[in-house]
Amino acid sequence: MTASAAAREGAAPLPRLFSRGILALVLGVYTIYTLGPFLWLATMSVRTTAEISADHYAWPKPFHWEQFRTAWVDSDFATYFWNSTLVVVGAVAVVTLIGAAAAHALARYRFRGNRLIYGILFSSIIFPPQITLISLYQILVDYNLYNSLLGLSLVYISLQLPLTVYLLEGFFARIPQDLFDAAKIDGYGDLEIFWRIVLPVGMPAIATTLILNFIQLWNEFLFAVVLITDPDKRTLPIGIRAFMGDHFQDIGMIATGVMISVIPVIIAYVFFSEKLIRGMTAGAIK
Amino acid sequence: MQDTVALQAKSRSGEAKASSSTLADPRRATRLVLAIFLGPGLLVYCGLTAYPAFRTIYDSFFTIEGMDATFVGLANYRDLISDETFWIAVRNTFIWSFVAPVLDVATGLLLALALYAGVPFARFLRVAWFTPVLLSYVVVAILWMWIYNYDWGVLNVMLRAVGLDALASSWLGDPNLALASVIVTHAWKWAGFNMVVCLAAIHSLPKEVLEAADLDNCGWGAKLRYIIIPMLRPTLLSLYILAFIGKMKIFDLVWIMTQGGPLWATETVSTYVYKRAFNWNTFDLGYPSAIATVWFLVVCASVIILNRVLGSRERLEY
Repeated sequence: MTASAAAREGAAPLPRLFSRGILALVLGVYTIYTLGPFLWLATMSVRTTAEISADHYAWPKPFHWEQFRTAWVDSDFATYFWNSTLVVVGAVAVVTLIGAAAAHALARYRFRGNRLIYGILFSSIIFPPQITLISLYQILVDYNLYNSLLGLSLVYISLQLPLTVYLLEGFFARIPQDLFDAAKIDGYGDLEIFWRIVLPVGMPAIATTLILNFIQLWNEFLFAVVLITDPDKRTLPIGIRAFMGDHFQDIGMIATGVMISVIPVIIAYVFFSEKLIRGMTAGAIK
Repeated sequence: MQDTVALQAKSRSGEAKASSSTLADPRRATRLVLAIFLGPGLLVYCGLTAYPAFRTIYDSFFTIEGMDATFVGLANYRDLISDETFWIAVRNTFIWSFVAPVLDVATGLLLALALYAGVPFARFLRVAWFTPVLLSYVVVAILWMWIYNYDWGVLNVMLRAVGLDALASSWLGDPNLALASVIVTHAWKWAGFNMVVCLAAIHSLPKEVLEAADLDNCGWGAKLRYIIIPMLRPTLLSLYILAFIGKMKIFDLVWIMTQGGPLWATETVSTYVYKRAFNWNTFDLGYPSAIATVWFLVVCASVIILNRVLGSRERLEY
């Protein structure tokens, strides 16, 4: 027993070192594979198209930060950015509030049809978007909300509602009932309980949902491209695509525009990476 | 049991009694309170999800040009059966939905195992590998169009650098390669998501089992095959189903990278619906509604069947 153990330890280092080396190599290559394209994009965003055409992989020298000013002012990316901000912030605020209210009712109160309502809301997560897309286009035209930021915002609220209710219901259901019983005894009404207990106690989960909804809507493309045609009302994803359609060769400016759209997401990720990863995985494990 | 009967009896006996019972049972609320909490959400759901969905199904029996709707019965569905482009789109979407999730989940599991094995900088690597998940499809599509560029894209530059000039191709322009190229791009975006889910699941496995395996001098291969994969089965299956659903809906990436071309090589059902509804000058919303309705039923049925088939053997005793 001891002899074989000793033999194993004596034999171990070389293959072990070898397999460690392979592992490190694979991980290194994979990291370059995921981050490399992004860094390449970042270098191109501060180089002019002429420089890029000369050598696509050179380090920026000098850094053309004025590209960002040009994209922001002359290429309308400021308009796209503020449109995106308006639509997404509005939709996220509303969907979180009404989603939280619905999740609270579903998690806390016993009433007939509770699970049915939950099931109906939740099942729409699997709907392919086309089933609502074509009619939403007609409906928004009917109500004069086509080609308007308000209309797009309303649609975004409906898109994120199922996920919001699903994530928050799971969390709110785990708040101990004692807390609610005590509040009732202290004379809190149902609405007060929601404002003064559920929202503060549920803040971590609400923050996760907020960030998740923000990123998903910030990146949304299909509904925006169908429901917005006016160039002044474009959001960032469709603005970038339109710019690319008109200036296919202007790689430097496209890269700058793409960076402008990515920066808010990266900032959110830097500050909230753990929350975000947890939020995105919460749906998958159960 | 008696409790629920009593509750139902109470709820039938009107507002007055129900409101007095809230004091007795904090789990009950008046209809007014429920309406305040659930009302806005249900209103949004009914107005912007349920109603449009029913309207699309209803519209599929009409030809709709502008304001004029003409009832045509099942004609749209009959046309659909003989629409070759539709069947190409279905085939592409099915290839993508059944094959690619295996790739995604396998990559995710291997990456998670690497992090679990305790490599240095595991925290940094986890955050780094997750980054593509957060980029929008527009950004990912533009990046990969450049990577696949024939003249100066990373892929061809690298192939030429190692002397494999013959392999350098027009990755998105060749009908035989385009679908595979777009699938690789999609896998690049989603591998990190599968990785973090697998990692969380591995960390929640009972420690004793893995330690016992270590005591038995069980190698990594055996541990993976006989312990980790069987125990992670439920997670891996739900990841597979999630990836499957995502791919049945795929639109953005294809639309920006290839618009379904070349020669319908990357056409998916979603891009085809979009083309027929908003891009071609056919001005008929009835036919695309029929495609959307069929696809809606296919997706729901597939998810139910997958859940049944994969879920039935899920119960695992540990």
